[in-house]
Amino acid sequence: MNKIPVNGNKGFFQEPRMPPNFRWGYAIFVIVLLSALGFVAVGVLSLFVGIDVESLRGNVALIPIEGIIVGTEDSEFLFESVTSSPDAVELIRKAENNPSIKAIILEINSPGGSAVASEEIANAVKKTNKTTVALIREVGASGAYWIASAADYVVANRASITGSIGVIASYLEFPGLLEKYNITYQRLVSGKYKDIGSPFKEMTQEEKAIFQQNLDAIRDYFAGEVANNRNLNKKDVDRIANGLFYLGAQAKELGLIDELGGFDETIAYIEKKEKITAEIAEYKKEKTLLDVLSKVLSKQSFFVGKGIGSSLFDRKIQSSITITT
Amino acid sequence: MKRLNLPKEKTFIGPALIWKRIAAFFIDMAIVNLIVFFPFRKLFQNIVPKDYTFSEAYKFLSSSTNYTSFITSVSFVMSIILLLYFLMMERKMGQTIGKMLTKIYVLSNNNTLKTWQLLVRNLVFIPIFPFVLLWILDPLFMFFTKSNQRLSEILSKTTVVEVYSLGQYP
Repeated sequence: MNKIPVNGNKGFFQEPRMPPNFRWGYAIFVIVLLSALGFVAVGVLSLFVGIDVESLRGNVALIPIEGIIVGTEDSEFLFESVTSSPDAVELIRKAENNPSIKAIILEINSPGGSAVASEEIANAVKKTNKTTVALIREVGASGAYWIASAADYVVANRASITGSIGVIASYLEFPGLLEKYNITYQRLVSGKYKDIGSPFKEMTQEEKAIFQQNLDAIRDYFAGEVANNRNLNKKDVDRIANGLFYLGAQAKELGLIDELGGFDETIAYIEKKEKITAEIAEYKKEKTLLDVLSKVLSKQSFFVGKGIGSSLFDRKIQSSITITT
Repeated sequence: MKRLNLPKEKTFIGPALIWKRIAAFFIDMAIVNLIVFFPFRKLFQNIVPKDYTFSEAYKFLSSSTNYTSFITSVSFVMSIILLLYFLMMERKMGQTIGKMLTKIYVLSNNNTLKTWQLLVRNLVFIPIFPFVLLWILDPLFMFFTKSNQRLSEILSKTTVVEVYSLGQYP
């Protein structure tokens, strides 16, 4: 092997031991190997980071509003279908920021849920500059209807359930049960209404009145929003905002929806309005493997912790009332 | 009469010419981008619509934390693959494809090339602070050092060289 001094006597240059053909063969091997590694890396990254690449094509975004509408991503429903408002708002913004997307379809199949979460989604729908169409399939009631009303156009199936404009905050109260088992609720509060809604004591008339007042205020706001969104007379909406649900056909007569139909009618409306051939891009919050695993693990830890600790200190029991639409 | 196996031409080893080094770098980057990064290019094309301007693409990719974390992860994996390309090629042959075509070699100043030396000289490809500083410092050093060495080459005690010919032996 030739060893030739370099830069004086500092180092040695070793000529490559491989013959030229083998060197090129090795270079090709490296390129092929790294390309294969690239393919695997892209697959693994897509799996773990959770971007459904194929769903990003098209000019009409389809965003599902399914199940109960909740306000936090980390809801109690592990395998149930829920729509969390941060997720839904993020998807709407993503569609809004995508110049290829000309219209957004909200595919609604939800009985409603948190009033706050519903309003957050409805506001995001109102803020978007794209054409928005709500397609109510089986159920688009209460908070889900609030969201639908924020869209430019509402299509619902003839037999679908819509409306149900009202607010509910019912809860179980069991001081009688505690009394039966000789358990006493020791009321230690600083602030007269601090334990309002505690299931361990009977609600006073005054407390009930306060609650009712708040529920009425939210219902009034809900009805006002629907009237405003649908360009209806507030007094007319107030008359039907009694929590009653309506079938699609009745809702059309009342002006709660614009058209009876389904997916085809929704697409036809968008194509006519935007003068495009609609290509659907499904916008979904993808659950990655990591998401599911971490959720299962966190739930497990939660129940283990709950077993060890005392359930009497569970904060959830102290305030068991949630306001849902 | 039996002939001695003498070298046919007088040669000496010296620092590689800068233009050859730049050419080798661009050849390597072109090969890696065209072939090795093909799946990543396809991925980006699928995510960002083709008719986007740079600012539109930037706005689109910043619209979601999901995208930004994805882009960060992808960039990191790409830089690791790029690093692997240089490590695998230079470890075995002291050359990358670009260097093979321009006939230049990586050389250890002391002895044979060690893996740590290759790692240090290619740290510039890792997109993490403080290595990103090398993106500016590294090429600057090449222009102002005697042996046309980058900063990471000085630190790794390596030099990129080529064989210069002084003509045939009589």
